[in-house]
Amino acid sequence: MVPFLKFLIRRLLSIPVTLFFITVVLYGVAMLAPPEERAMLYWPPRTRLNLPPEQFEAKLNSIIRQQGLNDPFPVQYGRWITNLLRGDWGWSPTFNADVLDLLLARTPVTAELTLYSVLLLIPLGLISGVVAGWRPNRPVDNWFRLSAFVATSIPPFILGLALLSIFYVGLRWFPAGRTGITELSLRTVTTFKTYTGLLTVDGLLNGRLDVTKDALRHLVLPVFTLSLAHWATLARVTRASMIEERHKDYVTAARSRGLLRRSVVWRHAFRNALLPALTSSALSAASLITGVFIIEVIFSFKGLSELIIRGSQNTIDTGLALGFAVYSVLMVLPIMFALDVIKALVDPRIREGEIES
Amino acid sequence: MIRWRRFFADRQNWLGLIIVGLFIIAAVTAPWLAPQPDDGEPSPFKVVGQRLDRAPNPPSAEHPLGTVPQINLLPRFGIAPGQDASYQWDVYHTLIWGTRSALRFGIVVTLVTAAVGVLVGAVSGYAGGAVNGLMMRMTDAFLVFPPIAAVWLFNRLLFTRVLAPFVELPELSWWENVLYQLEIDPVMLALIAFSWMPYARIINANVSWLKQEEYVLAARSIGAAGPRILFRHLLPNAITPAVVLAARDVGGLVILATAFIFIGIGGNVAWGILLVGARDYIIGIGGNPLSHWWVFLPVSLALTLFGIGWNLLGDGLNTVLNPRARR
Repeated sequence: MVPFLKFLIRRLLSIPVTLFFITVVLYGVAMLAPPEERAMLYWPPRTRLNLPPEQFEAKLNSIIRQQGLNDPFPVQYGRWITNLLRGDWGWSPTFNADVLDLLLARTPVTAELTLYSVLLLIPLGLISGVVAGWRPNRPVDNWFRLSAFVATSIPPFILGLALLSIFYVGLRWFPAGRTGITELSLRTVTTFKTYTGLLTVDGLLNGRLDVTKDALRHLVLPVFTLSLAHWATLARVTRASMIEERHKDYVTAARSRGLLRRSVVWRHAFRNALLPALTSSALSAASLITGVFIIEVIFSFKGLSELIIRGSQNTIDTGLALGFAVYSVLMVLPIMFALDVIKALVDPRIREGEIES
Repeated sequence: MIRWRRFFADRQNWLGLIIVGLFIIAAVTAPWLAPQPDDGEPSPFKVVGQRLDRAPNPPSAEHPLGTVPQINLLPRFGIAPGQDASYQWDVYHTLIWGTRSALRFGIVVTLVTAAVGVLVGAVSGYAGGAVNGLMMRMTDAFLVFPPIAAVWLFNRLLFTRVLAPFVELPELSWWENVLYQLEIDPVMLALIAFSWMPYARIINANVSWLKQEEYVLAARSIGAAGPRILFRHLLPNAITPAVVLAARDVGGLVILATAFIFIGIGGNVAWGILLVGARDYIIGIGGNPLSHWWVFLPVSLALTLFGIGWNLLGDGLNTVLNPRARR
């Protein structure tokens, strides 16, 4: 257990390092922009944006002077990062709200969608990959290869639109949006308490099964769309590494000892085939989050993506853009961390630091 | 050359080659397949007749695949602020000319990404030690960054003056000028900046493994310099997975860029811009998903086929070049 603890600590310590690196690069990119752009980062809360031109310029100049936006990079970076750590992420003129508040308020929507997709796609991807890879070129495997090929071929956003036109407009089986219960979307009810922000869980906690059922119905299409492509990638990697493992000596040895086939597949070969699959999931964690944002827009879930859509249109909203970038990194980091921990649990070589994960 | 015989023996690979080949032919012969109107500079969009209600025109003899309402106020890189135009775009014209922009986008981004990734991976893998550790930590740090956030950030910070409706060239700084002259858009820049990591990782692993081989020792013993060993001896042996990755990436990157354009954060692939124009008519009206099929079906099919073609090509190359993937 001790080496595992050591691994955990080492891995946890590497998170701040990654964050430091990312923020340095982000602010370095931001520094390329003229100071007037970055002055919008420090736009004082609750101030009008549509000032007359001369006043606007005077205001910008005073902000540049006050915040020292012509200082050298380390000074400015230090100031910005201290503000971030203090919880002052800036003010968004588009939404007329605090950037951190905006991000936090929309997190549960995105988190719910991501959570259900991941919970669906990881077990399905692993199981189908193992089943197909253990007996390659059999009918099961051929069906698997065909469906994985189709799944990777259809662009997710086009699949989402197709599903919407068929099941929402055409057949009216599934609704669009996040909730169909008007009182919830208007947030006027006082009887419905928000505990986690996830509608499915909150519905259960409040004893409102209708809310949970409704939320699940709304989740079906987006979760399916989101999982499909990532399921195929994961399952293909699992299948490929299963094919590689099944001819190795230890598998032959296990079979010759007369172990049950189930035990050989799942307790021996699967454990070794899991590592490449986990590595590939870690590689695509960031693209999963990007996919979540795209699907949110298609299905009009008002999650974090709403900030991009409205924030990137017309107004000058540097604070929100930078805050969003940092925040989405914070969303990917836990996924990566979880995957690394699972990897270390599976492979003793990683947790004892013999090989790099 | 037995590898290539194996490549051409598989029907799947032929399918991939044919699909990609058709797109390339369409791109090359676009001026004949869909002639530009005589006046004006070449553009992937052809503006045709006016309608007051903005509804798309169904296919007719003149417009074989119908029309899509035009997006007004289109800045240079295709973000669509308002949709209040009454002109229409010819779908067939964009379908043909869009292959050019899709191929340009996919190939440029893939080549630059692959070059950056291979270079980073090869150098760090060959250097080894602390340099390698640092470079790979850097690669891992890039991996946690979702490209969609980068698109917005670059758009906001680097392109405010480049993408302005009325660009004043003397005002641009040197790098803004580069972005403007090379027609680089935020999506392109973000995808280049955030998709080189898989190349770097895979090349790094290969190079650090191969450099222990004896032929490297032999090359060093006759006095070959480091860069020569790396680029003449190691890289040719390590590069095959990057080739496979690149072939698959072309389609995937174009699809991702189209999605970015469709949700409205900018980009410059003509198919995506056409889909933005069609946005209001994609989900069928009155319960019939196909009531305005021509506004989205041709372009979506083209996009899907584009992805399939490059995917098949990548799979084919994988079975040929990667000895472990043989079925």
